[in-house]
Amino acid sequence: MEFLVFLSLLTIGYLFGRMAEQRHFASIRERETEYRDVLAFSARFPPPTTDRIDAVLVDGNVVVAVDYFKMTAAALRNLLGGRVTSFETLIERARREAILRMKANAQAQGATQIFNVKLETSSIGQGASGQSFSVEVYAYGTALVPAKAA
Amino acid sequence: MEYENRPVPEGINVSDEHPLVDFAWMLATVAVLVTVLVIALSLSAGWLARQVPMAQENSWAQTYIEAQPRELSDEALRKQRWLQTLADQLSPAMALEPDMTIRVHYVEDDSVINAFATLGGNVVIYSGLIQAVDSENALAMVMAHEIAHIKHRDPITALGRGVAVALGLSAIGGASDSAMAQQIVGNVGMLSGLTFSRSQEHAADKQAIDALLAHYGHLNGAATLFQELQKMEPRLMPEFMATHPLTEKRIARLTQAASGHPAGETTPLPAWLK
Repeated sequence: MEFLVFLSLLTIGYLFGRMAEQRHFASIRERETEYRDVLAFSARFPPPTTDRIDAVLVDGNVVVAVDYFKMTAAALRNLLGGRVTSFETLIERARREAILRMKANAQAQGATQIFNVKLETSSIGQGASGQSFSVEVYAYGTALVPAKAA
Repeated sequence: MEYENRPVPEGINVSDEHPLVDFAWMLATVAVLVTVLVIALSLSAGWLARQVPMAQENSWAQTYIEAQPRELSDEALRKQRWLQTLADQLSPAMALEPDMTIRVHYVEDDSVINAFATLGGNVVIYSGLIQAVDSENALAMVMAHEIAHIKHRDPITALGRGVAVALGLSAIGGASDSAMAQQIVGNVGMLSGLTFSRSQEHAADKQAIDALLAHYGHLNGAATLFQELQKMEPRLMPEFMATHPLTEKRIARLTQAASGHPAGETTPLPAWLK
C-alpha cells in the first residue's frame, strides 16, 4: 500500500513536473527574445556617457517547487554522487526566469540597460528530513533610465 | 564600446539524458548495493545470533513469559495439554538439541489462522488454526513445521538479522538525510531480506515432512491446511514480496514428497478440541 502511494506520487511528480518544465522552458525562450533589447551586465559601472540618466534598482524574484520525482532522483543521486541533473534544470529555469522578470521590471521603467546584476539563490520551506522544498532565485541590478526632462 | 547580450546557450546546464533513464540507472545501482549489504549483514548477524547458547535463549524467553502471566480456562488448558502431547510425540523424530524443549501455548482467537515459533522453544497455536484443519495429520504438519523452526534456531536468527539489517539500512538512509532515499533503501532491503525468510520456511517444511513420515509413515492429510488457506487467500502479492513461499508451491512439494510413500489412514482430531 505504502509502495503504491510512493509509486503514484512518483508518477504524478514525473508527468506534471516534466510537463511544467517543458512549458516553462518554451516560455522562457520566447520571452528572452522578447526582452532582447534590455541588456543585463554584471559589470559594476556603465560606460561613461554625457546623457542624463537616473539609476533605479530593478529586481525579479521567482520560486520554483521541486516535484516528487526530482526529489527522489536527487535523493538517489545523493547516495551515489555525480551530477544532480534533476536539480540542474530546476535552477537553470529559476535563474533565467528571475532575470526575465527583472528585465520586464526595467523595461516597464523605460530602461534598456541594467548594470551590476547579481543573483541570490536560496532554498525555502525545507522539511524536517529534506522532504519538500522550493528554490528561490532573486535577480537584482541597477537599471539606467533616461532622466525625464526637468 | 558595443554592448550586447547573446542568446543563452542551451545544453550546458540541461543535459540531454532522459530523466527516466538516469533514474533507472540510479535505482538499479542502489538496489544492487543495498541487496549486497543486506545479504552480508543477514549472513553474519544470523551466524552470530546462532552462537547464543540455547540455554541463554531459553532464559531470556522465560523472563518474558513470567512477566506476562496468562489465565487459561480449564478447557483451554486441556487443549493446550493435548497440543503439548502432539509436540512431544513429534519431537523425537526431529533430533532436537538436548537443551531444546518445545513448549506449546494455546491462544483462543478463532479469527487468527496461524501458528508461530518464537524464542526459547515456545510455539504458539491459535484456535482459528485448529478450526481450519480436519485431521491430526494437518495439525501435526503445522506443529512439526514450527518445531523445525526451533531446531533450525530460526527465531533468534531472524531477530539477529532483523536488528542488524535495520541498523544497516537506517545508517544508509540516514546518511542521505532524505525520506525518499530511506524509503527506497528500506523497500529494497525488505525484499532481499524476504528471500531469507522464504528459505527458512522452505527448510522448515522439508524438516516437517521428514518428521511426519517418521511419525505416521505417510503424508496423507498433511496438505489440507494449505489447501484451505489457498481457497481463502486471494492471490494479491507475487512471491518475491511475501514472507512465505507460495501456498501452491508448498502443496506441490508436499504432494511430490508423498508420491513415493504408501497412503495411510488419517488420524481424526478429538471432537472436544474444536
